[in-house]
Amino acid sequence: MATESSEITTTGYIEHHLTNLICGKTEKGWTCDPYMADQMGFWSFHVDSLGWSVFLGLVFIGLFRMGIPKLSTEAPSGIQNFVEMCVEFVNENVQSIFTSAKNPIIGPMALTVLVWVFLMNLMDLVPVDYLPTLAGNIAAFTGLVEEPGDAYFKVVPTTDPNITLGMALAVFVLIIFYSIKMKGLKGFVAELTLHPFGKYLIPVNFVLEFVNLIAKPISLGLRLFGNLYAGEMIFILIALMLVFNSIAIGLLGVGLHIIWALFHILILALQAFIFMVLTIVYLAMAHETEDH
Amino acid sequence: MNINATLLGQTLAFVLFVAICWRYVWPPIIAIMEEREKRISDGLEAAKKANDSLEEAKLNYEAELDKAKSESADIVEKANQRASQIISEAKTKAEAEAEKIIASANKNLEAEINKTKEALRKDVSEIIVSTTEKILGDEISQEKHEKIISEAAQKI
Repeated sequence: MATESSEITTTGYIEHHLTNLICGKTEKGWTCDPYMADQMGFWSFHVDSLGWSVFLGLVFIGLFRMGIPKLSTEAPSGIQNFVEMCVEFVNENVQSIFTSAKNPIIGPMALTVLVWVFLMNLMDLVPVDYLPTLAGNIAAFTGLVEEPGDAYFKVVPTTDPNITLGMALAVFVLIIFYSIKMKGLKGFVAELTLHPFGKYLIPVNFVLEFVNLIAKPISLGLRLFGNLYAGEMIFILIALMLVFNSIAIGLLGVGLHIIWALFHILILALQAFIFMVLTIVYLAMAHETEDH
Repeated sequence: MNINATLLGQTLAFVLFVAICWRYVWPPIIAIMEEREKRISDGLEAAKKANDSLEEAKLNYEAELDKAKSESADIVEKANQRASQIISEAKTKAEAEAEKIIASANKNLEAEINKTKEALRKDVSEIIVSTTEKILGDEISQEKHEKIISEAAQKI
């Protein structure tokens, strides 16, 4: 983009990178026109985030399904090694957290979360301008926008709070579902109202416990979003160094980019792992039936 | 950051992918892994068993070998005994045979001697008779002659 638009500004560059490709409902009906984005209400979709998210989910399923036909009881090799390593790692984590209750869906869910979130995070390592520029040029070429710079395209799904909170919402629904299933509606309500202070301070208890409950999905979603958003932002800022017509600053930018990318690999994996562990822990808490 | 229907879309996608993973991905992998685990532990068990039976077989083999050795020693000893027995039997038999042969030879010899003696006696009596005849110059009857000869032969 830096070369495309003559009057590029730092703010414009950053804003461009932080805006989603959005399709939504306006007064004139459904549209994907980026010029109409500010007229869309709740019923709009970040096509780029959702697209990449679903694509990477399919990559996950494909990768792990591909491992299966070759699966045999002989010594595993290649992709099967990787698949089995992931499954074993997840299974160990699940079994160490889920000690008493057993739930066959926790393992697959934890595996999905780990690999899927990791793949979505991994998109952060693609240099920030590549895919947006490509998408912008395609959009301009097909006549969707007047200039490549007018098309928005955000590549990393986990830098979109909708994506992370969407997954957290699913986890939250499961928390409530299993809480009620394991403890009964009465038990669940009792858990929300009868402690820490006993039955004479039910309103206070409820406020405390409700905040506790609601904090789970919000912290789960926002933690992932915050980490990835910050990481993406730093990539964008480093990329900005290449805009100035100075070889020294440009080289410094390349160096910084490499260093940050290397460091970021750790964050990507760590955040995927944390998301998985917290999902398991929250669901394990929902399964606990003992009285406090 | 604006929250919109993307959130619901992602929730749906999440549920779908978890369901797919739960239904189609997780079970076969876990099943295969458990199967392999079982096979490995079975294999180790079998190896241990095989080792045990090898030890046992070794012990058996040694015992059998010892037995065979002692048996063969017995057999050799018996064979030796039998051989010496056969030899001694043959010896006694040969000795008896030899004695028998010697005895019969002696007997033959004696008979021969007796025969010769008889013939000699007869010759001598004849010579005596003829000589006596000649001396007497007279011929004694044949009957008397015979009688005299046999008497003489008896006396000799």
